[in-house]
Amino acid sequence: MSRPAPRRTGTGLLVLHALRCGGHAGLTRVAAATGMDESEVESELIDLAVAGLVTHLGGGFDVWGLTDAGRVTDAEWITDELEAGGARPAVTAAYQRFLVLNPELLDLCTAWQLRPVDGVMTVNDHSDPSYDTRVLGRFSALDWRAAVVCDELAAALPRFGRYRTRLTEALDRANSGELAYVADHVSASYHTVWAQLHEDLLATLGITR
Amino acid sequence: MRWIRPLSARAGEPAEVLGAKAHGLVVLHRLGLPVPAGFVVTVEACRAFMREGRLPAGLDEELAIAMTGLEAATGRRFGGAQAPLAVSVRSGASVSMPGMMNTILNLGLTTEASAGLAAETGDARFALNARLRFVSSFASAITNTDVRGVTTEPGEALGRETGDGDAQLIEAVEKLVRQRGGRPLPDDAAQQLELAIETVFSSWDAPRARTYRELHDIPHDLGTAVIVQAMVFGNRDDHSGTGVAFSRDPNTGENVPYGDVLFGHQGEDVVSGRSAAHPLHELAGREPAVWTALIDALRRVEDHYRDACYVEFTFQAGELWLLQVRPGRFAGGAAVRVATELADARLITRHEALLRVSPHHLRHVRTPRIAASAKADVVARGVGACPGVAAGKVATTTEAAVRMAADGPVILVRPETSPHDMRGLAAATGIVTARGGPASHAAVVARAMGKPAVVGVGGLIVDVAAASWRADGRTVSEGTLVTIDGTSGEVALGSPPVSTDAAGAHLRRLLAWADDVSGDHSEREEAERLSAAHAALRHD
Repeated sequence: MSRPAPRRTGTGLLVLHALRCGGHAGLTRVAAATGMDESEVESELIDLAVAGLVTHLGGGFDVWGLTDAGRVTDAEWITDELEAGGARPAVTAAYQRFLVLNPELLDLCTAWQLRPVDGVMTVNDHSDPSYDTRVLGRFSALDWRAAVVCDELAAALPRFGRYRTRLTEALDRANSGELAYVADHVSASYHTVWAQLHEDLLATLGITR
Repeated sequence: MRWIRPLSARAGEPAEVLGAKAHGLVVLHRLGLPVPAGFVVTVEACRAFMREGRLPAGLDEELAIAMTGLEAATGRRFGGAQAPLAVSVRSGASVSMPGMMNTILNLGLTTEASAGLAAETGDARFALNARLRFVSSFASAITNTDVRGVTTEPGEALGRETGDGDAQLIEAVEKLVRQRGGRPLPDDAAQQLELAIETVFSSWDAPRARTYRELHDIPHDLGTAVIVQAMVFGNRDDHSGTGVAFSRDPNTGENVPYGDVLFGHQGEDVVSGRSAAHPLHELAGREPAVWTALIDALRRVEDHYRDACYVEFTFQAGELWLLQVRPGRFAGGAAVRVATELADARLITRHEALLRVSPHHLRHVRTPRIAASAKADVVARGVGACPGVAAGKVATTTEAAVRMAADGPVILVRPETSPHDMRGLAAATGIVTARGGPASHAAVVARAMGKPAVVGVGGLIVDVAAASWRADGRTVSEGTLVTIDGTSGEVALGSPPVSTDAAGAHLRRLLAWADDVSGDHSEREEAERLSAAHAALRHD
């Protein structure tokens, strides 16, 4: 019995591209990135693995990652999608607006982690709620401007809409006291999602770092 | 004049009017040190701009008069086809906002003036490169993005060695400005100057700058001054260059000049880390006269500020010019050592020495450091992004880091990091990146993980295919043991000794003075002893 070849549009592309932008990931993270069910994700991953585009890493990792062929195929599919929809000008314009926001986001992550005390950068131990509230307030202000860019991107290519949802989720969780959702690496933090969006824009437009 | 002050020893107004940078330049003038001729558009003009949304009435006439004065002082013509005058336009608020605002270099190099510069110097490549720096710094300021990141290969240096692609790059940047700004870069020197001043004033209100001020309790209505100075060219010839220097080592506080020098380059290359800088002392061998003048200048500014100092400098055709000065703002053990030694030298009193060191500094005194870094085999230097020392074998890819981490600690060395490197970052004990500053992806992630990190190592080239990296002419292969210091930004070969007590003897003396002041000689925490002395001194 042969499985169908993975589709170059729709869910196959979504799953492949999630690994392209987020690096190695397990089912849960790919599901969060794509907004799909884990079982659906797994089914797509198996199809992609049969086609030699992704590979499963066992040995305690239990994550999936792109093969070299997967990387090439992703670039091809993502370019087709971009050009077929005539979306390049809109995505390029949004990317330029993203580049203005990017340094500010990184400043904010730094301010979340370090704060100057008597002129010395000191690890923010989150014992001063007023400082944290101020930083989160600036995150919200940035997020409001980022939403405009995300909306432009989603209008050009609907799959970008997922970033808006994930950024909002991260900020909501941070505001309700889950501090790891600001800049930590372990979760779908604001910084993690933002970095994936950055990578996605570079990949979509075919820009090498 | 209402909005403009000449930069001279006679400028009497405080940093609140002139901005801190211009005020420092006035200090340099008073000390008789070489500063390029120039003037400052005051903070008042910026406030007027913010109120009215345009440059204040009368500023254009004042600019014309000031530029005529600058032409007379330099014997050159602004926008002229012969002996063209180029200027730098820099922001300078009364408070420090590092990296938030714009600098435009080589302004006035219109198409005609660039041709004039080429004819005058007989160096067409130099003139073209100077014009490229002008259009790219101007375009970056106007569009609020790093234009060179868009139009050039990342990490590509804009030094004297490049040049062939400059004309195409200039075209690319000009096209970008037309696309994004809706109008071309003006090719008239006076118009360029007005637009540059407007752009710097506008940058005060850019969202990123506003955020910075919110976080650092800086009022939004302060505004910034703008400094306009005759350019000196660090990329002019083989006896030109640029650098930054501390009067003492900011890592240890030791009384030796410390810094970076970049031969044949302009100033922003050092600060941006785009090119590989050399240790400052190499200047002594290559340009002894410049070195002597610089050491003399460092001594004079230190005597004036009665503190370790930081200067930015350029030398053009063997002649030294100072572009900025400020107190060094040392932290941790370095702050302790400098304060103690300045008191010993009677430049400050013991009471002042105590007040120079914050109890918070003492928390950092115990952060592990590479000991006696002068003796360590330092192969690369960048910016410390997460303090602490880490030693391990070099890995140049995430895959290698994950694989090698099974056998022992790994230092991941990457051009920069992205989400693809998360597994490698997680597996590594320490992180080194060629690009990026203290707010880069790698720095943010390293701090989240609590791992020592060094970022922005200028001139570091990672060769994934060869599984090695190069810096400063040396190649380091995957698997080589290295040690990184996330405070000083040093990357050393092997495993040099690590110290958690770098300021030991100095700290003990300073704390003895503290106990004398507080009258309390009981056994307590170090920070507590210093705090008690501060309290006693503030009561007097």
